[in-house]
Amino acid sequence: MTKINLYHLYPDQLNLYGDRGNILALSQRALWRGLDLQVIAIQPDDHIDFSKCDLLFMGGGQDSEQQLVARDLKTRRSDLIKVVEKGMPVFAVCGSYQLLGNYYMTSAGTRIEGLQILNIHTEAGQNRLIGNAVINCHLWKEPKTLVGFENHAGRTYLKPPAEPLGSVISGNGNNSSDGTEGAVYKNVIGTYLHGALLPKNPWLTDFLLQKALSYRGKNTDLSDLNDTMEIKAHMEAIKLADSKKHRRNSTRC
Amino acid sequence: MIEKSMGNSDKGGSDDRLFTIKTYTALFVGKLLLTITRLLGRGGTTLPGRIALMIKPDLVKILARQIKTGSIVVTGTNGKTTTSALLTSILKEAGLICINNQSGSNMSWGVASAFVEKARISGKIPVDYAILEVDEGAFPAVTAELQPRAIVVTNIFRDQLDRYGEIDYIQNAIQSGLEFQPGNSLQVINADDPSLVALSQRSGISRLTYGLDLNLPDDNLHYTGRDLKTCPLCREELAYERLYYAHLGYYYCPACNFRHPRADVRLTDYSSSRDGSTQLTVKHPKGSITLTSNLTGRYNLYNILAALTCSLGLGIQDNFIVSAIEKAAPSFGRMEHFFCEEKNIIMALIKNPVGANEVIRTVLSMNERFSLMVAINDKIADGKDVSWLWDVDFEQLTARQPNISSLTASGLRAWDMAVRFKYAGFDQNKIEIDSNTEAALIAALDKTPRSGTLFILPSYTAMLEIRRHLNKMGMGKPYWEA
Repeated sequence: MTKINLYHLYPDQLNLYGDRGNILALSQRALWRGLDLQVIAIQPDDHIDFSKCDLLFMGGGQDSEQQLVARDLKTRRSDLIKVVEKGMPVFAVCGSYQLLGNYYMTSAGTRIEGLQILNIHTEAGQNRLIGNAVINCHLWKEPKTLVGFENHAGRTYLKPPAEPLGSVISGNGNNSSDGTEGAVYKNVIGTYLHGALLPKNPWLTDFLLQKALSYRGKNTDLSDLNDTMEIKAHMEAIKLADSKKHRRNSTRC
Repeated sequence: MIEKSMGNSDKGGSDDRLFTIKTYTALFVGKLLLTITRLLGRGGTTLPGRIALMIKPDLVKILARQIKTGSIVVTGTNGKTTTSALLTSILKEAGLICINNQSGSNMSWGVASAFVEKARISGKIPVDYAILEVDEGAFPAVTAELQPRAIVVTNIFRDQLDRYGEIDYIQNAIQSGLEFQPGNSLQVINADDPSLVALSQRSGISRLTYGLDLNLPDDNLHYTGRDLKTCPLCREELAYERLYYAHLGYYYCPACNFRHPRADVRLTDYSSSRDGSTQLTVKHPKGSITLTSNLTGRYNLYNILAALTCSLGLGIQDNFIVSAIEKAAPSFGRMEHFFCEEKNIIMALIKNPVGANEVIRTVLSMNERFSLMVAINDKIADGKDVSWLWDVDFEQLTARQPNISSLTASGLRAWDMAVRFKYAGFDQNKIEIDSNTEAALIAALDKTPRSGTLFILPSYTAMLEIRRHLNKMGMGKPYWEA
């Protein structure tokens, strides 16, 4: 049985917005294909041996917990950079996405240093950007849509070599001004979208699994699954995100 | 001119000066809208208040002064509805006249709707107490207007993050609401919730705390839904001697002196009978109370304690407290029972991971075989972000799959819920999906065998819809009469 080691960074601290759904999507879709995906929970102060890791997942956290984690993560920065350059897939949502960047500028003007893995920076905004979001994602030759929910105060700006994960069809994306959402560098993917994102966007889940397999040196193609239900949920969520009637309905009980 | 003098006067002087043409207009229009919405078969718990507030923004403040003894505000993430319903029953048992906003319409316009309904057209509200459940986000503004006689804060869990951003924000909102509490008033908080104990207290306010004092087996769900992990004072990781559920328990901070205080009112013993009732022993500063309750679920122990503690703080005698709690039936949408064609329907609202996990745990302890329907909407009152469904342990149900006669996903987010079931390990071919709650309900009832039980777990607005369908089918009372 082919093994995939999924490292889940700080599950007790970074677990906002249904991040557990992302882990479930990865492990179930691996299991349904007979792949043995092990989820290894990494706690602060644990010794991490990145050489055994095939896929790294980092979720979102509240400000207070985020700072606790940032402190810890900086001590592992050089190890992480090494494996990222070798092509290890990393999937980071919301707070962790910001943490992978160069810095975060708070509204008071304090600069919080990031891990400088993605060439992005984030500035605190006046209001939170909250709502359903749909993007056109460029990870595939033929772009595919991703649908999720965003809730962030930070505005993130990209510089090469970081590429946007997608272009915004509806919602705000990175900063509500340049029409981009998320960032990609090598096999590192950062995004503001939760929902949880992976269950309703199975092609992204499979993309990550495939990358994890190739990173481990297995170039087997993933077998097809019956995704009728996921695709229907994906299409329905896009319809709800676009529907003006739904938005109007949403303002009352 | 009149408006200006009103703003300056603290107590308002004679009541007459407070009542302007706008007050009467707001009341009249509000009452008219209430009548119309009721005729249309709707609850009228939102719109009349909204419009009345548009006409007279400080209507709540003016009407609140009409209440003889004062208002009691119940806030917190979970347990608001049940706690305020219990508190109302206790005060009524003691012979006091009370009004409330019972149907969970707990934003500022919900409070306004309740006042508009209960006030006479003259603007008088001839009652002793108004017991109001208030949403955490609306809490600061509503407290400032009401100047409540007592405030009860039940707990802070993760809930509707799309509306408020983060849990830290909710804690701040509750703190700033407490700043508006008038002197010589009462504050009742849950000692087992570290985020509440850390709230600072204004001088002159008497604080009563309540909590469990039980040696329960540590069967918490591996900390899922434990939202608060760090010490509210120094941000170090909290440790626990006992953990009841989520982050409620006997916590202490290894780094600073912050720890669980000994609660003033403590549940020291409880046991369940075969008929589903629970015997409770509660110790309080002046003695102890023994009583029997029909409310199931561990979360209801906290709700009972909250209502009981507040009543004691208001000087209500033990015998009224005991008889009111013993008579209490589950409130609106909280394990409510219906009966149809020899089939049982039990409906329990779910709105966040901690509450939903406790509801599922209770469902599993009640019936061996059952049908299940989960209906999720994503309107504002439900929370537009449905990601919380992934933090709910639906996996608890998967092991019982062979005993679940039918499984239905419904509501605007029926497909999200269906995917959730699939990834929890359910056979995807056995999941019935219909976003229309009425059609889904009829089909689910059809698939429930005679003398069997259908559990319905809806989000808030889905619950309102399903109640309407049940009413149409001849079950239960319309919710504004519940």
